[in-house]
Amino acid sequence: MLHQALHLLPTLAAAPPAHADSGAAATPGGQLLMLVPALCVLAALFSALSGPLKIRSKIPGYFSVACLAGAFVAVLLTYLGHESGVKIAHGFEWITFKWGDGPGQALTGNFAFYVDSLTLLWMLFVTGLGALIALYSVEYMADDVGLGYARYFFAFNIFVLSMSCLVMADNLLLLFLGWEGVGLCSYLLIGYFYKKPVAVAAAKKAFIVNRIGDLGLVLGLLATFVAFGTLGYDPLFAMIRAGVDAKGAPIADSWVTDVIPLLLMAGAFGKSAQVFFYVWLPDAMEGPTPVSALIHAATMVTAGVFLIARMYPLYAADDDHMALSLVAWCGAITALWSATIGMSIFDIKRVMGYSTISQLGYMFAGLGLLAPTGAAFHTLTHAFFKATLFLAVGAVMHGFGGQLDLRRLSGVARMRGFGIVGLAMLVGSLNLSGVPGTAGFFSKDMILAQGFSTPASMIEAPQAIAWVLLLTAGLTAYYTFRAFFRVFTGPVEYLPGDDEHLLEHGRHPKGTTLAEWHKQHGHGHGHDHAHTELTGVAARRAHGRKDFDPTTEEFDPHPPGWAINASLVICALLAIAAAALYFVKTPHAEEGGWVGGMIERSSAAFHSPHEFNLLGITSHSAMYLVSALVGLTGIAVAAFLHAPKGWQGLFLGSRDTAATSRADALTPRLGRVARWARAKWYVDELYDWFLVKPLRGIAYVSSWIDKLLVDGLVDAAGALPARVGRVLRPSQSGVLHGYAAGMAGGVALVLLLVLIVLN
Amino acid sequence: MSDALTLAQQGWPAAFPAVTLAHYLFVSAAMFTVGLIGFLTRRNLIIMFLCTELMFQAAGIALVAFGRYHLDFSGQTFVIFILTVAAAEAAMALALVVLLFRKRETLSADEWTEMKG
Amino acid sequence: MPRNCTLVPSFFFFQRHVRATEQLRSGGGRRAALRGLKVGVRVSILTASGGPVGPSLRSRRPTPPVDLLTNPIVLYLVIALGAVGVCMALPRRGVSPQLVGGIIAAVAGGLIVLVLSLRAARQGGPDAAPNLFFYVFAAVALGAALRVITHPRPVYAALYFILTVLASAGLFLLLSAEFMAFALIIIYAGAIIITYLFVIMLATQAPEAGKEHLLAEYDTVSREPIAATTAGFVVLGVLTAMLLGGGAQLPPAPAADPSQTRLAQLPRKIEQSLRDAGCLKGGGALARSSLGDPVINWSDRTVQIEGPDGSRTWAPMPDGLELSNVEGLGFSLLEDHPGSIEIAGVILLMAMLGAVVLSRKQVEHDEELKRRRAHQLADAGGAVR
Repeated sequence: MLHQALHLLPTLAAAPPAHADSGAAATPGGQLLMLVPALCVLAALFSALSGPLKIRSKIPGYFSVACLAGAFVAVLLTYLGHESGVKIAHGFEWITFKWGDGPGQALTGNFAFYVDSLTLLWMLFVTGLGALIALYSVEYMADDVGLGYARYFFAFNIFVLSMSCLVMADNLLLLFLGWEGVGLCSYLLIGYFYKKPVAVAAAKKAFIVNRIGDLGLVLGLLATFVAFGTLGYDPLFAMIRAGVDAKGAPIADSWVTDVIPLLLMAGAFGKSAQVFFYVWLPDAMEGPTPVSALIHAATMVTAGVFLIARMYPLYAADDDHMALSLVAWCGAITALWSATIGMSIFDIKRVMGYSTISQLGYMFAGLGLLAPTGAAFHTLTHAFFKATLFLAVGAVMHGFGGQLDLRRLSGVARMRGFGIVGLAMLVGSLNLSGVPGTAGFFSKDMILAQGFSTPASMIEAPQAIAWVLLLTAGLTAYYTFRAFFRVFTGPVEYLPGDDEHLLEHGRHPKGTTLAEWHKQHGHGHGHDHAHTELTGVAARRAHGRKDFDPTTEEFDPHPPGWAINASLVICALLAIAAAALYFVKTPHAEEGGWVGGMIERSSAAFHSPHEFNLLGITSHSAMYLVSALVGLTGIAVAAFLHAPKGWQGLFLGSRDTAATSRADALTPRLGRVARWARAKWYVDELYDWFLVKPLRGIAYVSSWIDKLLVDGLVDAAGALPARVGRVLRPSQSGVLHGYAAGMAGGVALVLLLVLIVLN
Repeated sequence: MSDALTLAQQGWPAAFPAVTLAHYLFVSAAMFTVGLIGFLTRRNLIIMFLCTELMFQAAGIALVAFGRYHLDFSGQTFVIFILTVAAAEAAMALALVVLLFRKRETLSADEWTEMKG
Repeated sequence: MPRNCTLVPSFFFFQRHVRATEQLRSGGGRRAALRGLKVGVRVSILTASGGPVGPSLRSRRPTPPVDLLTNPIVLYLVIALGAVGVCMALPRRGVSPQLVGGIIAAVAGGLIVLVLSLRAARQGGPDAAPNLFFYVFAAVALGAALRVITHPRPVYAALYFILTVLASAGLFLLLSAEFMAFALIIIYAGAIIITYLFVIMLATQAPEAGKEHLLAEYDTVSREPIAATTAGFVVLGVLTAMLLGGGAQLPPAPAADPSQTRLAQLPRKIEQSLRDAGCLKGGGALARSSLGDPVINWSDRTVQIEGPDGSRTWAPMPDGLELSNVEGLGFSLLEDHPGSIEIAGVILLMAMLGAVVLSRKQVEHDEELKRRRAHQLADAGGAVR
């Protein structure tokens, strides 16, 4: 495949327009996008080879950044040249199973790209953020230069490749391959610190939970093929537009519009960490922070949103929108659920993880509430501001030895070198909280407004969903600024990480001697991970100072370098600039700005009815006020409970130490609820009891069956000759009479047999 | 009595009852059995070889009786070969016994158990 | 061929029963069934006296005691009795009931022969039973054989073996194998056993009479007598069963001796016989074919003779003109099995060589000579060094 792709590169322009599934709507074009996978493959190969070639520098990182930037440019150029309509960039014939000439008797999965505005929208932020976060990683992963670096960037580039295939795929089969590819890269990158048992467990958890969702996706694919006889988008959408399946039967009220969306939804929920499947994402925070930013916040987890947006015609084809109602409700419940957890836990990275789940819930709710534009817009803005937040959190972790507990950090923004981080964090937090004027505000508002204006005849209880989402918006603002106020404002106070972090994971720094520590230390930066080269905990506490005594001396924070700062600045600026997209007027859509235009021109277009109109106020203008009020209230509550005195705390706060706040007094009053929320509502424990333990029991029984029965049979087969030998050995005693007796007995026996048988 | 002598002198009678053949064969089988039991029970190497000779003898009687029944001389010819083999066996076996006796000063077969290979 | 007893041990095979019943029906015999004899095997004993027997036999109804005696079960019981006897007769530690065992074995042997004879008399008439000499020779042969394996003194065992050989030679005579009878005595009794005796006397120091306790332990105590006797007599029982059952499957004995045609290769014997019989008068001679063979018509046993005037007439063969045992054996040996003679010769040669090589004695070097050799070698080594 790779070879063919590279081979095709020079002749991309001259590629034959032959496409098996080409319909009336699609025209050949967009061949420039073939550069994206090619560049990713190139970067991945170079990164992979840099390991064996013993390149111990940051060259693979910069090369990856260059390649991904090139990919972004290719996408950008394609976007600039894109008008409306669909173009199909045909790469090569890839997978073809043919068992007949009739319709539905050939399963084709070509390496071809379906280029429409939805694809381009996603590709723009996938490649753009990919390049930016690669740049961030260059510095962040600097300690692992060498084999770890090669591994990291290989998986990173393969991830972008898979994500591109997922997004740009011309058919569901290629989408599925990309889907599995991103799953694999997610697994590899979560388990990047493979010496850390927690990371390995998290990687396995993510992989397994995703498999369950992927089962739904595979079944959905098969059902799609059964119903429509093809997996290519173009003929698929043509048929859905016509409202018929492959046999010409109407699909409006058949199993097709009921079952397939639900199955695809299961896959989307698995990948995007919704309702039952969300448990893997918080644990995935064990991976390096850039990975969390790119994969587990900005891009991969939005694959589920993309899938539903891509297959939106099918979802919309259902009369009662049953699947969409379910999507909306699940999204809303997930949003609220994870927001409550985010409010109560103290690990800032995990707060961001739960916030991601919550915001993904928003996106799904947007899709379900017939607001694909809002969902897509929120995906876009979320990609930028959540990446910003993660990168900022990562910079903090980078600087404070992997410290993640917001009770042990305070006033970080005021420390030397952390100004940019603080500002970026502020930008991200404002966006996440939906403060008026920010991109997050507009995108969230589109979903909320749609929720209030969607008629209940189309979606089950849309207003209730909207209220839930509104409540969640307030909670989001609270927990976002809780983290911000606790960590970035107030008195400068910090405890280095890893002690706490490791204790949490059952490891104690004791046992590392000073001499060992002195030997091992170097210009090691404290990270949120177990160091691959410098084993031992003391080494991580060294933080670049040769005379550091881990027991007595002060910890020295390590401010981020230019690459991190540059990425942060660009990300933050993009997050701010995303708001402007809302005001871009396009001829293609009445509202939603640039994104609206993009969505309106794509397959995900849906003209939602606007019915809400109270006292001459449209739902949007009403929502501006309401959601701004809710968001600011949340911030105010956060400031009251967690902010320091003075302007930093908006003159509401009173906190003067890192560890304590007004919330401490409040928490006991909530009683069990607070405790349960902090324990993540015991969902993991529940799964452990009701799924993992029974399965483990079955596995245990099976293993014993295997050990006793199967192995027993095999062992018996092996032991049989030995046993027989042991029984027969005495017969070879060397005593002449023994042999004679054997012969005589044998003769007697044979004669007896002859007599009995022959007579 | 005269019957037997005339039988011997006159050569082949016209018919040889199968029942009489059974008599000779029974004697043969009994002698073979006695030889077999002797081989199994006696522990003197020389006696054991004597017992094999007994078994040879029994086989010879059976062969001659069958040859007589079928009016065929091959039975007797085979007995000549049995005699040949018995003589050869006796020569070899006794040479071996002498050799073994020189080594251990005993004729017991139980003393030689390390030749199991 | 009289069909004698048929032993049909059968598993629970329906087919077998069908066959047995068919046999019964066709033979018109009676059935004496004994059930549950051995492990899961039901042996149904069918004594069928059917078959092509003479009319005299069919008219005579056998009396019940004889009928009982000819039952194979009786035969097997007697064999088992013999087994007990042989087992007791085997030498063992302490007081050994050898005499009792011998008597029991002899009684058993006698009973067996009696049973066999009764069966023979029943089925083939009184002439079918072997003559008295058979019983004598058989008894001597088996008794001596039993003594061979029971006598604690190897020399006596060898001597008893000679007795066995002599009795066997007698049996051979009864079977009109005169040459083999005498060859047996000469080779076995005269050569082989004498070799045995030499070795025995070479290897053992036999104690005087009355001091049997000085005999070697391996001579006086037999090994596993019960197991060995059981195995041996199972073989005997099975062989006997085969003997009784297999008689029916034997091809019928030929009416005429096929080897008599070899007389044609002995023209001078024929001529002499004709001359002795007075068939050749004057200058008459045996007529010859162009190849020089006598012209014989075997169907009516006539031979062509040529008168002195050249006229050819047919004359009956004299009554006594038979191929003698030695002549027949010679023809069989040299014409039918010439290659085997060569092989037998090679076997004997190899045995001779082997015996010589095996029993060769290691010649001890003179100690003085060895010492001198060693000194010489040492000196030579020193000079070189």
